Parts: sequence; structure tokens; C-alpha cells
Amino acid sequence: MAALGRTVRLRLLLRSLLVQGSWNYRTMQGAGLGFALIPALTRLYRDDPEALGEALRSHSGFFNAHPYLSTVALAALARMESERTGAEQVERFKRAIVSPLGSLGDRLVWARWRPLCALLAFLIFLLGAPWWVAVGVFLTSYNAIHIGLRIWGLRLGWREGREVGHALMGSPLRRLPDRLTIPLAVVSGAVVPLMALTLGGAVDVGPLSTIGIALALAVAGYGRPGLANRLAVLGLVVGSLAFVLLGSSLW
Amino acid sequence: MISRPIVAGPLAGLLLGDPVAGMWAGAILEILSLRQLPIGANRGWDTGPAAVAAVAAALRWTAGPIALLVGVGFGVVVGWVGSWSVHWMRQFNSRLVAVEGQPLDTPSRLTVRHLSAVFVDLFRATALTAAAVACITLLATALADAAAGLANVVAGLLLLAFASLALGVDLRMMARGRRVWTAAGVGAVLGVILAIWLR
Repeated sequence: MAALGRTVRLRLLLRSLLVQGSWNYRTMQGAGLGFALIPALTRLYRDDPEALGEALRSHSGFFNAHPYLSTVALAALARMESERTGAEQVERFKRAIVSPLGSLGDRLVWARWRPLCALLAFLIFLLGAPWWVAVGVFLTSYNAIHIGLRIWGLRLGWREGREVGHALMGSPLRRLPDRLTIPLAVVSGAVVPLMALTLGGAVDVGPLSTIGIALALAVAGYGRPGLANRLAVLGLVVGSLAFVLLGSSLW
Repeated sequence: MISRPIVAGPLAGLLLGDPVAGMWAGAILEILSLRQLPIGANRGWDTGPAAVAAVAAALRWTAGPIALLVGVGFGVVVGWVGSWSVHWMRQFNSRLVAVEGQPLDTPSRLTVRHLSAVFVDLFRATALTAAAVACITLLATALADAAAGLANVVAGLLLLAFASLALGVDLRMMARGRRVWTAAGVGAVLGVILAIWLR
């Protein structure tokens, strides 16, 4: 097995940041995956341009996974190429790895970590921290997991190669989304009253009543998400348009 | 990650002279867009241009909740238009990566096509943001005095109502069950205590 040096692995990692750059309806992240693999493939096939062309064409075909965990597939594919695994097996591996990477990344990052970091940053701001501290908290906490996942994926993929699917199944990351559920709910609950204190603070009925109304609406949103979603977005646009078009004559 | 509203908002605010207003606009847009998960081919609002447009709109108006309401409302519209521009860009990319007779089988060809798509995206987002800011500049000149003391209070309440509803929806979309209810309740009680203390 031809080893890939530290520089090549670093280039794989950096290029993985652009894996979604040419996202399209035909191959989704396919061209991005091929682009990210170029340093590894040119190293492995430096004496065989025909095999290099074949590998690039194959890896630029259909592929789609969570972008942060795409490094798992990238490194595993690089390892498989270094072992001269057959094209059919590589294709089968790509098809099989797409769903687990997508499902794990979507649940962990989009549905838990990103909202948690964003709401935590907003909560810190609502508690009186300067805006730049809140932004700093968001960027630091979010990217700790973001960059950490990419590096972890690269190592795991290279170490396990085609067996990386089994390694993912036994990974502690699978339980992490459930563990983040409670902190996310607590922070969501805490944001509403503090937001009400500022936005509704000037109302005659008093801040506690405003907080009560806000909490009731949050509960309504939780209970009837479809209707509330449409109400929140449409109401916001129509409300702001009414202010723009009619202005103070409304009141 | 600077395209997330909670970052893009205050940064745009900093450039335009009021990062705190930018933070508010960004945070509310963030809450409204949290549930849009970019899974598969799903495309949510284009949140970066939306946040910049929201802050530009809010700061063109008078201060206070009415400016924020107008800004966030405008940001939602820009984000929605942006999501369509993303759709058209993806269609363009489909043609870019599959030119007949030119397979992506050399490093240079693959790199050029891929990076071209990255620059198209950069151009798209910049053009959308510039168009949105130009549009709000024209609107602000024509409709300058839309605020009143009472309107500010009502605007604040409306904004709070929409954000609270949206946060409830966000939580439901991401997690559900008795544990979630209990934890959110504990969070709310903590929030109320903190609000009373801060008051």
C-alpha cells in the first residue's frame, strides 16, 4: 500500500472545504469529490496518466454526503486507490457510504450542533455580552466540531479504508445527536423569555405578560409546526410590507 | 460560516455603523432559518445575502423594532429570491460538469470546472446582495417616514411573536418527546428568572 504523506493529507483536508463548490443536480458533490481527490490520485498514478484519467472520471461521478464527513469517504477512497481496488468495488463502496455519512452528519450538525451554537450565541448576547463575544462563541464552538469532524473523518477513512462503514456504526458520534437534544431544548426555552424582555419590554401590559405571550406562541409553534411556520414567515413579510407601505397612518 | 445570519448580520452592521442592530436582525433571521436543513437537494433561504440585506434595510429606517421588522421582512424576501438563484446556479453547474465530449478526466480540466462553479457562486451571491442593497436604498428614499412611537411597540411585539412561533417550530423539527418538553420548560423557567433579574 503506497502511503500518502502528511502534505497530501493536508491538501485533501483543505480541498474538502470546497467539496460542495460545484454542487449540481446531475452528480451532486461528484465533481467536488474528484477535485478534492486530485492530490492523492496524481501522487498514486504519477506514472500512469491513463489510470489517473480513469480514476478522475470515476470519482467525478455521482456522490453526495454530509460535506463535513465527506473526508471519511475521501480518505477511504484514497486508501482503496492506493491498494488498487477494482473500479466496481470502489463504485459499490461509494454507493454504500453515501447514506450513513449523510444521515449522521445531518442529524449531528444541521439538526443539533448548528442550532445549539447559534442559540447559545444569541443567549449570551441577550444576557448582556457584547455582540462580538457572541459571534466569537458561535464561530469557535461551531468550528471546533466542524474542523474536528473533518480531521477525524480523514484519519478514520484512511485507517479503515473500505471497512470504514463498520467503524462508523460503532462510532460514539452516532449517540452524540441524542445527547445534544436536551441542551438544545434548554437553550431554546431560555431564549424566548429573554428575547421577550427586550422586544416587548416597552409594552404597557408589563414584561411578565409579554414573556407569557411569547412562551405561549413558542408552545403553539411546537404543537402546530406546519401552520406556525407559514404564519411566522408570511406574517413577518406581510407585517413589514404593511409598515413600509402604510407607515404611521396604520396607527 | 460567515454566511450564517448570526455572523453576517453583526458584521454587516459593523460595516454600516450599528453592529448591535445587525446582531438582532441576524439572530432573528437565524431563528427563522434554523429549520431549513440542507439535506440532499433541499435548498433553504440564501441566508448570507438575506442577513446583509436585512441589516441594510433596518439601518436605512429609523431606529427601533420597526426598523428591525422591516429589515428582517426584507431579508426573508431576499433569502427566498436567493434560494431560486441557487437553483438556477445548480442547473448551470449540471451543464458545467457534463460537457459532451469533455469528460472530467484530467486534473486541470476538473480543477477549472470546479473552481469556475465556485466563482459563479461568489458572483451570484455578490450580485444578489448588491441588488438587494440597491433596492432598499431606493425604497428608503421614497418611503422615509414610516415610524411612530406606537408603531415601534407593535412592531416589536410582531417580531417577538414571529420569532417565538418560529423557535417553537425549530425545536419541533429537530427534536420531540417528553424529555424535550421538560428540558425546554426548564430552560424557559431559567430564562424567566434571568429576565426578571436583568430587568
